[in-house]
Amino acid sequence: MFARGSGFARSRGAACALVLAIATPPSVSRIAGELDAAGLARRLAQEKGRVVLVNFWATWCEPCREEFPSLSRLQKAYGGRGLTVLGVSTDFESQRAGVEKFLAEQRPSFPNYRKASGGDDQSFIDAVDRSWGGELPFSVLYGRDGRKAKILSGKHSYGDFEREVSRLLS
Amino acid sequence: MRHARIALAAAALLQVAALAAAAAPEIGAPAPDFRLQTIDGKDFSLAEAAKSHKAVVVMFIATKCPYSNAYNDRMRDLAAAYGKQGVLFVGINSNKTEPLAEVVAHAREHGHVFPIMKDPDNKVADLYDARHTPEIYVVDPSGKLRYHGRIDENYEDASKVTSPDLKNALDDLLANRQIAKAETKAFGCSIKRV
Repeated sequence: MFARGSGFARSRGAACALVLAIATPPSVSRIAGELDAAGLARRLAQEKGRVVLVNFWATWCEPCREEFPSLSRLQKAYGGRGLTVLGVSTDFESQRAGVEKFLAEQRPSFPNYRKASGGDDQSFIDAVDRSWGGELPFSVLYGRDGRKAKILSGKHSYGDFEREVSRLLS
Repeated sequence: MRHARIALAAAALLQVAALAAAAAPEIGAPAPDFRLQTIDGKDFSLAEAAKSHKAVVVMFIATKCPYSNAYNDRMRDLAAAYGKQGVLFVGINSNKTEPLAEVVAHAREHGHVFPIMKDPDNKVADLYDARHTPEIYVVDPSGKLRYHGRIDENYEDASKVTSPDLKNALDDLLANRQIAKAETKAFGCSIKRV
């Protein structure tokens, strides 16, 4: 969002804006970009030292839509303590407009990417986790050391997520 | 007496828990047998069906899942094509959110004339550790699991399929060849369990 080394970041007003942005997570109502398995790994590497929750979802997946607000709440509650939530939509390319509409309505407090089109989904699924059968929603929690700490298959409650995130942040 | 009843109840609960936690069957291992009633009221036994067919294709399906629905025509066409070669396709709906009447209407709407069953309390889905729809299991006449996974790799466009995995597995099985790719994966909708 803020280009490193830009003059913008050096200005006083921008510094205030940056502080505010950190204190209050912005809603991210557009697709942040497309990720294949390698791109996801690179994105995860950017969060080194933080606990990361990656949630795979789709607009057509009812339990995913039901679970989604909990993830926003989680990011707001624990972002300041070191949690980063990342969403990855697995929607079809033809459903891109639907994804944008969903994000605009939800105004999530965490960035959401789209799984890049093309390639075999099996490669992507296996790269994320060998135990994943492809069911949605599906969440993976990474500890501060960047290692996979917990797999959460299917829909989970805010309490479920909070329990696991608190454990990793403590 | 009271203690005996409690012990029996506890044992029964443990049995149910063990069933629910059953590990997924492995390729080459016996496929868990099950009996269900089809949506037109007939009894279905996997073991009996396997003995009288060259293969049984067990498909966990749904009425509302876009991924499963993307394959409605392919399921119908594959069932018809391989039915002529002695392969039986069956559909199982384990979703608690999709009642029998909806499953019947869905089958009629999509020309699914193969046996379709409701799976009360998702017991069969638990036996197979089936996670999502569509998810496919192929069982050979000896009752062994020979293939598990997807129909193909392209849910969006049947005309652009490059990896017809179920078809390839059936062709290998019918030709008495080793199934080259016996396990595959694809995205799908979680089975809505009780």
